[in-house]
Amino acid sequence: MPVIEFREALRTAMIEEMERDDRVFLIGEEVAQYDGAYKVSRGMLQKFGPQRVVDAPISETAFAGLGIGAATCGLRPIVEFMSWSFTLVCLDQLMNNAANIRYMSGGQIKIPIVFRGVNGIAHQLGATHSHRVQAMYSRVPGLVVVAPSSPYEAKGLLKSAIRCDDPVIFLESEKILADKGEVPDEEYLLPLGVANVERTGSDVTILSYGRPLTRVVRQASEVLVNDHGIDVELIDIRSLRPLDLATILASVRKTHRCVIIDEDWGYCGMGAGILHQIHKPTFDDLDAPIEYIHCDDIPVPFSHDLELAMLPSLDGIVTTVNEMFGR
Amino acid sequence: MAVVNPVERRPPSKWSAQVTSQAASAPAFEPQRQIDMLRVMLLIRRFEERTFQEYTKPGQKIGGFCHLYSGQEAIAVGAAAIFQKSRDKLINGYRCHGHSLALGMPPRTAMAELFGKATGCSHGKGGSMHLFDVKDGNYGGHGIVGAQIPLAVGMAFAQKYQKTGGVTFCFMGDGAVNQGSFAEALNLASLQKVPAVFIVENNGVAMGTQVERHSADPELAKRACGFVMPHRAIDGNDVEVVIAELSRAADRARAGDGPSFIVCNTFRFRGHSMSDAMKYRTKEQVERAKLHDPITIYSARLIDRGVMTAEQIEAMNQEIHDQIDQATAQADADPHPDLNDRFTDIYSETYPYFP
Repeated sequence: MPVIEFREALRTAMIEEMERDDRVFLIGEEVAQYDGAYKVSRGMLQKFGPQRVVDAPISETAFAGLGIGAATCGLRPIVEFMSWSFTLVCLDQLMNNAANIRYMSGGQIKIPIVFRGVNGIAHQLGATHSHRVQAMYSRVPGLVVVAPSSPYEAKGLLKSAIRCDDPVIFLESEKILADKGEVPDEEYLLPLGVANVERTGSDVTILSYGRPLTRVVRQASEVLVNDHGIDVELIDIRSLRPLDLATILASVRKTHRCVIIDEDWGYCGMGAGILHQIHKPTFDDLDAPIEYIHCDDIPVPFSHDLELAMLPSLDGIVTTVNEMFGR
Repeated sequence: MAVVNPVERRPPSKWSAQVTSQAASAPAFEPQRQIDMLRVMLLIRRFEERTFQEYTKPGQKIGGFCHLYSGQEAIAVGAAAIFQKSRDKLINGYRCHGHSLALGMPPRTAMAELFGKATGCSHGKGGSMHLFDVKDGNYGGHGIVGAQIPLAVGMAFAQKYQKTGGVTFCFMGDGAVNQGSFAEALNLASLQKVPAVFIVENNGVAMGTQVERHSADPELAKRACGFVMPHRAIDGNDVEVVIAELSRAADRARAGDGPSFIVCNTFRFRGHSMSDAMKYRTKEQVERAKLHDPITIYSARLIDRGVMTAEQIEAMNQEIHDQIDQATAQADADPHPDLNDRFTDIYSETYPYFP
């Protein structure tokens, strides 16, 4: 099976869907002549021309709104944000227009659009460029929120997102765009709203998604299994809204323990929202309180050491899980 | 670029006024179309008066924010007169009752939405600020000032992309020109040369802040200069002037020459919303503006042209009164939404495990 980079998986998904459906187009800052700020759209301008690969000015409200307006009229836009942090300046377009128009029109309008770009803490980008927007968007009825954790997931989920008739928030990470993984040549789709059980186990359910899964959670799971004899069930949540509660609840009822790990702030964080969904239905099944491991409650610092220190660590995860077993 | 201000005039009767012809270049409409346009202006006025009553009388049937269009009817009716339903699209801010009626939404459907009824255009999920009627090209009222302008760029982008020959008419109030979304959207519209017409309904006051206090240069049409967009300020109270100018703008858009920016100077006779005591303007200002009432101007013109008599206009007005009475009674009798319907129309797709 071919091994390709995460960014290439994203590009292949977009190219395949644009070849399949001429209503699909890409718009964003530097996506065309510059080949993409992170080179995700490299070569796409040459392939599809300036009508379908559209450079936008640094004007998030305008091009996000353009995408939504075009989607209301039958096109299927892919809007690339150079960073999800920049969507703080166009939140109204996403939270009011993309999410609410279908409802406010009594179902007269559908909005098939994908908003994609890099999310979260990368590498010394400072507090303004390191926002994790998943909780903000996952709260909103009308939106679908997806965070892939491998090239295989990226391609399959992005193709589904492009074919989806609802607005999809697609969260990538700068730090995993160069990650490599196996991606089959033949076409495949991965369903939205379905979690992926990466490892089955019987002792503890570990829930994570996106970059922290690739950075630290998979390694921590290996350590717990190999060095501490704890049989981990590792679930990539993958779809933050809708949340695949059926898979998650079944797992927690089986293992009787659950820990959620992400890189959000803890208070009102993504994991806190997920915890609330799990806690009551599994209360009688739990052998320990559900744990939520998140980043420190601070603005994201510039200094590399400080930045690293605020994130969930391998040791922290291993210690917390052991404590759940009274060790 | 002349800014046309409402002119003081004293009408000799209810339906006629001494009106100077400002519509020399207007297209010659058939008499029946002229009558129809006056009818729709009257329909909007009577609808809004009824809305005011239903909102303010005991047992208030309309809740939330509600913004009346009285005084601005010539703009919506002028746009509707050149609107090609098969391919054109309209999008609006929250003062959207008039445009919806002008594009053909039945008064009962509009009133039912204001009442929050299941038979409303959005089944009671939109309300006064969010009237949608997509089959007729009405892409809605939008509640956040200026939020609809970027959407209009996308709608026009789609028209260009799909080569439909259609035009998007984007309405906004004068307050919207100070939003970032306005500047961003007009810039992108010009860069992409989309077939859009941006129409500012300049009623002189953004909620309670007069245009001189909210815009550094109150000649709002000049805002388009930085976007290299054809622009003009016109008398928005003369429906035939509106038609003439919007026709030129729409022709440019259809010919592939890109967007235009038209400022229609007008006056709203009611407050910003229902709670507005209008302390920011004098009774004299309102009385003076009423002498330049778009309905009086047009009815006088039709009488002058011999298209209608004052008696015929009065009879038509009475007919519309009755029509609004009936529509309101029907909307009142219509059912409330089923409580379970609050969970529908959120997503187009179904998802596994979604509650």
